[in-house]
Formats: sequence, C-alpha cells, structure tokens
Amino acid sequence: MIDTMGIILAADDKIAPITEIRAISALPIAGSFRLIDFVLSNMANAGITNVGVATNSNYSSLLDHIKSGKPWDLDRKEAGLTILPPNMISARHGMISGDIDILGGIYHYILKSNETYVILSLGTSLYKIDFEKVIEEHINNQADITVIYKDMSNLAESELSRFTLLEMSDDKRVTDIEIKPYYPKSTMASLDVYVMERALLCSILDESMARGDHDLIKDAVIKKLSGLRMFGYEYTGYADKIDSLKSYYRNNMIFLDNVIRKELFSSENPIYTKSKDRAPAKYGEDAIIENSFISDGCNINGMVVNSILSRGVKVAKGAVVKNSIIMQDSVIEEDAYLDHVVFDKEVHITEGRKLLGQDSYPLAIEKGGII
Amino acid sequence: MKSKDCVAMILAGGQGSRLGALTKKVAKPAVPFGGKYRIIDFPLSNCVHSGIDTVGVLTQYQPLELNTYIGSGIPWDLNRNHGGVYVLPPYQSAKAGVWYKGTANAIYQNLVFLENFKPKNVLILSGDHIYKMNYAEMLKAHKESGAAITIAVMPVPWEEASRFGIMNVDEEGRIVEFEEKPEKPKSNLASMGIYIFDYEKLKQYLTDDENDPQSANDFGKNIIPAMLKNGETMISFRFEGYWKDVGTVQSLWEANMDLLDDDPKFDLFDKNWMIYSRNITRPPHYIGKDSEISNSTIGEGCLIEGNIYHSVIFEGVIVGKGSKISDSVIMPGAEIGENVVINKSVVGPGSRILDGAVLGSKSESADKSSLSSKCTDDIVLVEGGAVVEKNKEVAPGSMIEG
Repeated sequence: MIDTMGIILAADDKIAPITEIRAISALPIAGSFRLIDFVLSNMANAGITNVGVATNSNYSSLLDHIKSGKPWDLDRKEAGLTILPPNMISARHGMISGDIDILGGIYHYILKSNETYVILSLGTSLYKIDFEKVIEEHINNQADITVIYKDMSNLAESELSRFTLLEMSDDKRVTDIEIKPYYPKSTMASLDVYVMERALLCSILDESMARGDHDLIKDAVIKKLSGLRMFGYEYTGYADKIDSLKSYYRNNMIFLDNVIRKELFSSENPIYTKSKDRAPAKYGEDAIIENSFISDGCNINGMVVNSILSRGVKVAKGAVVKNSIIMQDSVIEEDAYLDHVVFDKEVHITEGRKLLGQDSYPLAIEKGGII
Repeated sequence: MKSKDCVAMILAGGQGSRLGALTKKVAKPAVPFGGKYRIIDFPLSNCVHSGIDTVGVLTQYQPLELNTYIGSGIPWDLNRNHGGVYVLPPYQSAKAGVWYKGTANAIYQNLVFLENFKPKNVLILSGDHIYKMNYAEMLKAHKESGAAITIAVMPVPWEEASRFGIMNVDEEGRIVEFEEKPEKPKSNLASMGIYIFDYEKLKQYLTDDENDPQSANDFGKNIIPAMLKNGETMISFRFEGYWKDVGTVQSLWEANMDLLDDDPKFDLFDKNWMIYSRNITRPPHYIGKDSEISNSTIGEGCLIEGNIYHSVIFEGVIVGKGSKISDSVIMPGAEIGENVVINKSVVGPGSRILDGAVLGSKSESADKSSLSSKCTDDIVLVEGGAVVEKNKEVAPGSMIEG
C-alpha cells in the first residue's frame, strides 16, 4: 500500500488555437493519447487509488476524456478518480489567479481524504516516473517536501527560462528556488511535481488562504524555505512540459525517436487512455509511409512522412503530409500538400490545397477548420 | 423482475478442430480476427447495436481465454444491472453433471438462466460467424408473423449450395423443407445458424428433444426437423450482406483478406455499426524509414521496419528490417525478425519467426515435413507461441506447431 493520494492541477494557460476548446492537459499527444494520460497512468501504475483532478476552466473536454476513470482502473467504490471543477463563485469574481486558489477550492476534498502523503503534479508535464521510489526517498530523507527535477544542462538558456529552477546543496536539499528566471543560475529544472504529507499541504493552504496568497511556490514555499526540509528527487528520463505551440510540436515529434518512444511506452508501466473502438489503420494501394506514428481508424492512400496521426485521419490519394501533427478525424483530400502543420480535430483540407509551416513556427489550424 | 423481450444465446462451445493449431488452446470464438478483434466480438456487437442487452455465451471447450476476454462485458456495454452478458459453462447439479451434448442440449441445460428473464423470444447465434446484422429487424418480422421460429437465410452461389443447410421456402417465405448439405439443392437459401424462437415453443421442443434418447440434441438435425414435422409456423428472414463462416483455416484467411483493398468486401470503418472489442491500450503503430506498405491494415503498438503487402497485421506485432510479408495474417504480439519472407500465411499470437526464415517457400529445399490437410489452398499456419528457426524454409500448406 502506497498510502498516497494524487492531485493533478489542470492549468489554465493558453496555446492558441489548440486550447480554445480544452485545457492543455486534455491536448491530444502521441496520436491516441491526451497529455494528462501520462501523469494519470504514472499515478495508477504506482497503485494510487485516490486521484483528484483540479480544473480551472475549459474542463468539459477533460471531463469527457476521463469520465469515471475506468481506463486507469480508477473507478472505485472508495475514492478513485474525482474531477474537481473550480469554485464557481470565486471563478466568477476573477479571484482564481494561482494554484492556491484552485487548491483552496478543493480544500475539503483534500482534508477529507485518508492518505498520509500527497503527490501534487501539474497536468501539463510529460514524464514517466515510478512514484513509489519517490515516496520512499521522501520518507528516507525525512523531507517536508520533495520536488522532482531533471538536470536540463543540455538546454539553451532561453529554454531553461521556461522552468522553475532549483539550487541544491550536495545532499539535494533545496536552498533556493527561482520561477522562470530570465538569467538562469541553475540547470536543475523542477517538473512541477511535489510530494508532501497531506497534513502539511492542508496547513500551508489554510495559512495561505488566510493571508490572501495565490501561488503555492512563490508565496508559500519560497518564503518558508529556510524552515522546510525540501529535497530534490532526480529524474533522468525524458521530461518536458507543454507550454507553447513549439513545445507541443516538439513533444509530439519525440515519439518518432525509437529510444524515447520505448522509454515512454514501456510495457512494464503502460500509459492508459480511453479506448475508442476504431478499426485498425488501413493502407491503400498507393500509400507511401515513412517514419510515422499512426493510430487506429486512419485511412491512408497518400504519402505520410515524419508525422503523427491521431485516430480516424483520412489521407487521400496524391496528398502529402510531412512533419505534421494531425488530430482525430481530420480529412486531407486529394493532392493536398502539408508541411509542418498542427491540425486540431476534424480539420478538412480540400483538394489541392497547400499549407506550409516552419520547424520554428508550425502552422496551427483550429478544430473543424475547413480550407 | 421485469421480463425481457428478447434474450440472445451465443453457442461458443465448439472446439473448432478444423482451425487446426489456432484452436489448440482457445475456443474458436476467441480466435483473433480482423487485425484487432476476436470472432465473438461480431455477434456481441450485433446484439448491442440491435438493442439486445441480455446475452448468454455458452462455453465448453478451452473456456479460460474466452471467459477472461468477455469478463464483465464492459467493452460491449453489456455490464447491466438487469441483464448484460453471462458466460454459461456446463455445470454439476445435484442430479447430474454433463457436458453439453449438442447445440440444443446446451440451451436446454440453461433454461434456468432464461427463466430468470422470462423472455418472450430467444435469439440463438453461433460464435463463429463474421457479419454485421441488425437482429431488431429480424425480431420485428418474427413478431409480425407470429412464427414459432424465424430462421435467417441468405442466398449463396448455386454451385456452393450443397455445402450448406438449405431452406426451401414458399412465396411468402414460409419454410417448407430443410435439407442439410443436399446433393441436389432445390433452393440456394442457406441457413445462417441464426434463429429466433418463441420462448414457450423453444422450451417445449427442447424438453421433448431431451426425452428422446435417439436424438443428437442438435438444432439443425433434430429441433428444426421436428418442428417442420409438426407443422409449426416457420418463417425465413432474408439477409443480404457480408456473412462468412470462419470455421476453417482457409475461410478465416479469406475473411481477413476480404477486409483489404480500396473497396473492401467487408467494411469495419462504419461508425454507425462499430465492432467493439476488449483491447489493452497501446500506442499508435510506428512505421520505420524504409518500409513499403500497401493494401494492408496495421494495428496499434506495432513496430514495422519491413515491408507489408496485402496483409492484416494485428496489434503489437514487430516486423524487422528487410522482411517482406504478403497475403498474410499476423496475429497479436508476433515477432518477425529481419529478412524474413512470409507468403500467404496465418501466424498465431506471440509466434516468433526468426531472421531469414521463409514461410510459404516454393523452393525445392523447403521443409515439407509439416504439411497438413487443414491448411488447404497452400496456406501456412503457425501456432501461437511457436518459433520458426533462423533461415528455415517452410513449404506452402504446412502447419507449424509449438
């Protein structure tokens, strides 16, 4: 028994135009998955049976995807998966401006849970970790808070600035935290996953709400850092967070890499998602396909190169799809030519159209767009 | 309890010995089909789409995999508070414990189950046919005619009629004669093994049949002839569409091939009649940099680095570089090494075909020691879990057992 509950924060940042209709956590990724599947499956695989998904706004897509939690085996008599919509009264008054406000809205859910520990994860991160080991190290360190981080020294300074960065002593005790600094002093990037005792989270929340604080790390943790035993847990696998169209594009394309794909989809710790009962993908007489990741229900008669196709995508004869991410049920008619595009669901490209994006700036089309 | 208008009973106990090594460890209805499904998904999905929410699946031979597969029925939306799917194996009672003697006896032994739901009609189905059919239309016709039994029939080519149970019907579709595999067929309407019985009549005939020690307790051989003899109202219900008995290696292979080509004989892409199945989540399949793929279906979780022509590749299959697969069915989790050639084969789940092996090799030196009468039309069959050694050449028509 792992005696831990999970809380996933489905953040409210925007990536136009693909988050017009959904939270980032509900974005399709790797063809047939949603971003939140990774965090949820990590938790389910660790044996966590009480998971709360705290939403801010735009949560209908997330709700539709998760439903009762069955794919993650989280439809339980006791606890299981709970979707926690925001407190509408505070939302209406525009008072939700940080994670404290969201967590405060679900304070009673946290208070009434029974588990000793809580894992708090942002729902926009992509990683695959064994939470049991994290909890074990948290206990061994007698830590108050454990934060999961990855050494991202391979990244450019501008990329590092997207993260919350940690400074640590030799025994991995966190000595300083900087949130998205312009000039990073450290390369140890937080994955925005925290472990602490549930009682500690409740007491931090209670105090922060009473003071009118909004941000868990900025307002509460950083200020208390000297008095807290906060430790880093090093994660060495693939990790990133989705916070822009560019990072969305990049974090889909990594699934074409044999090594990363195997790591994220190892059969030991599977990633679960809602099943859709589509027939297997079908290739026609003239299909040409190279280095691509193709989901069930696709019908391919044209050319697909270096691309990720979600379920039910149709590529007609003579059409070319290159370096692109095409979401569910999009239709690409004959002789269309696409390079570096990101299509939301049900985009329809009529015969012979040509759409070109760039590696640094993929061309994104909103759901249901007809060109 | 509320009574049910119609309860379906799926006969899934047959051994399916004509499928050779494919049914050594699993019952025929649990044999994989169509790149993602099991044969039983078809009658189960048909039931759900036809509004039938109570289904008994009669199992007997090698039931473990089939039972686990059906489970609580969630994938077919058949987990219901009142009704749903039930697996019905033969059981031991105070009086006797007997195996199902025949199709009719299997239903007879489960009359207690049917009694729970007090159905007005009972739909009897086979667990080994591939088709999409709206049973609601047949049920409507059955109720309108007030028949004791309605039997689904379909026209078959005259030259093949002598392979089927043939129904001779009058202008109004009443069945006047039934001939099992007639030498000189008088009609080309074949019975599809789909019956809707008036429940009271079903009970009566099953009980009478059980009391006859000479009976083979079979619907085709005993029940239907007895009803004809007694002048019961028996109506035929014509079905025109794709229907295939996949009882042999060749017909199973053919039915898989029928899914391919630009205008397939059998279409699984119809969103209004989806075939449901229990599947573990797998990522999409990955096609490598040097693969050629044409006229094929490929399931989730595959890693394809070789070439696939006119084949059905199930989920989780690995195909190594330089390999060529044509006109074949590769079942879940099979591993095909590098530079393997596979022609016209059915490769069972989890089989391993090692580097350089050739299945369906026409070369003189090919191994002919495993030729089998079950592998007609030169099809090669590899049992699930079997291993074909490196560079081994297997002659067409072979059955490789594990």
